[in-house]
Amino acid sequence: MKFVAVIRQVPDGESRLKVQGERVDLSGATLILDQMDEYAVEEALRLKEKHGGEAIVVGFGPERTEEAIRTALAMGMDRGVHVVFEGHADPVAVAEALAPVLREEAPTLVLTGGQQADWDSQALGGALAEALGVPVVAWTTALELEGETAKAKHDLDEGAEWVRVRLPAVFTTQQGLNEPRYPTLPGIMKAKKKEIRKVQVSLSPKVELLSEEIQEKARLGKVLDGKDPAQAAEELVRLLHEEAKVI
Amino acid sequence: MPIDFRLTEEQKQLQALARRFAKEVILPAAAEYDEKEEVPWPIIERLHEVGLLNAIIPEAYGGMGLKMLDEVIVGEELAYACMGIYTIPMASDLGITPVLLAGTPEQKERFLRPLTEKPALAAFALSEPGNGSDAAALKTRAVRQGDYYILNGTKMWISNGGEAEWVVVFATLNPELRHRGVVALVVEKGTPGFKAVKLHGKMGQRASGTYELIFEDVKVPVANRLGEEGEGFKIAMNTLNKTRIPVAAGSVGVARRALDEAKKYAKEREAFGQPIANFQAIQFKLADMMIGLETARMYTYYAAWLADQGLPHAHASAIAKAYASEVAFEAANQAIQIHGGYGYMREFPVEKLLRDVKLNQIYEGTNEIQRLIIARHVLAE
Repeated sequence: MKFVAVIRQVPDGESRLKVQGERVDLSGATLILDQMDEYAVEEALRLKEKHGGEAIVVGFGPERTEEAIRTALAMGMDRGVHVVFEGHADPVAVAEALAPVLREEAPTLVLTGGQQADWDSQALGGALAEALGVPVVAWTTALELEGETAKAKHDLDEGAEWVRVRLPAVFTTQQGLNEPRYPTLPGIMKAKKKEIRKVQVSLSPKVELLSEEIQEKARLGKVLDGKDPAQAAEELVRLLHEEAKVI
Repeated sequence: MPIDFRLTEEQKQLQALARRFAKEVILPAAAEYDEKEEVPWPIIERLHEVGLLNAIIPEAYGGMGLKMLDEVIVGEELAYACMGIYTIPMASDLGITPVLLAGTPEQKERFLRPLTEKPALAAFALSEPGNGSDAAALKTRAVRQGDYYILNGTKMWISNGGEAEWVVVFATLNPELRHRGVVALVVEKGTPGFKAVKLHGKMGQRASGTYELIFEDVKVPVANRLGEEGEGFKIAMNTLNKTRIPVAAGSVGVARRALDEAKKYAKEREAFGQPIANFQAIQFKLADMMIGLETARMYTYYAAWLADQGLPHAHASAIAKAYASEVAFEAANQAIQIHGGYGYMREFPVEKLLRDVKLNQIYEGTNEIQRLIIARHVLAE
């Protein structure tokens, strides 16, 4: 069996990003393995540990993406493939570029993060399935292999459903699926010796990036009149529930 | 290219691992263990799981064979989250180092391998109730009786002393011989007559266990002696010449934390209608903290590099330890000053930085002793 995790390298959530010349400047940012993709790596490792076979990490992006691939190798993936591409590419173009590489690997299944922290398209998993001509199950929180098929739990807004799908298939991952392990120190040392195969691709993005800006979040500045504490509390709960949707 | 300041790919991964561990595992628990004055075993277990505990043990004995520079990279990250918690693995390395320096292959196999197989600690016992800086004046006696040494005496301020699987104890065969009479013995936990009493009421670093060790007619096999009789003092000094570098690394971590906390607060806190970060009085403090942080880190890396190259490093480790701990103490002090009244309260993390890092100026040789080492180096030239 072959379990593939498709990963990308993105800025750390706490990185301070700058925009220079209408482009995000990543030179000062800490770049990490996308946390959504970490669930994909962890799930590939767990499937391999349970069913045997090989766990392969496929990274897409510029040269520096190799660092994120090394992180996945340090977590325990067996080997890496780095599809090297400098610049911006939309998910459909990325999927088309990855498809021949994935076909060559002939994986049992492919996992990737439900959304990517940088372009936030939520489309890579679906586009990969389309390019490979296989089914997709998005936003999975549980995954079980059953011979030629897999059973997966797919999260809905206010519930969940279990589905069965013929393999190979693409699964997009998210929080709740598993608890990703740390890349341990022995893992880091072993990762040094693991293979990363480089694949150069040329692709023509279907979506052209014109400019980037950083969203400025304006505060609502809502102040509740606290003369009647009970009423204020009720109003606060209503606002948090209905407007902020945090409770 | 004779000088290269870049970290290797593995060192960057190691740094990322230690940083993430510090942020996710140590940081959220630091205040609680400080308050309870309790050793955080769950964190020690996690350190073992990710391979960061006792990682200086060579691969031949089941460890990771981390070099000093690697250790320094890890030390800064862990101490950033809590200097007291970092002292636990650091003091374990302090116990391991004499075995690395003077142990036979058989002793290394017997003492080091078990420390790689489970969450377990080592300790180093040199100071006594009546002497610290004058280490050659130790009173703990070892008397040879056949295949054993009979050990009697008391050791003081021993980090991990009660938790450790074994403690390297420095004792004298003849006090009149001063440093020439010292022997290094590995005393295993549970040896009859060996008792560890936890010391309570520490100002800082309260998550690390500090012990008084009492030895009453403790029988230690001669097979547990490191080096020869009379070599103990040299083993202790050579150990400290190395292990002061991680103390410097921990100080760098505290200094970085102090600067981060001060910066954050200075940007948020307003006075006279604007953030206090706009005032030069605050800016100069932040700049001074930055100067200290950067220079302390660079010098600590240099001392670690010397040690890794096998070059003389006694003076460099003394400079790194004294300098970085003073930089960090001052950074913590100024971080409190920038926080004003809030900085004096436990709700904010800066008062703990000062309480914790005070010890970095004292343990593994006071900064006064470091200056003696440095002065001897100057005068010997």
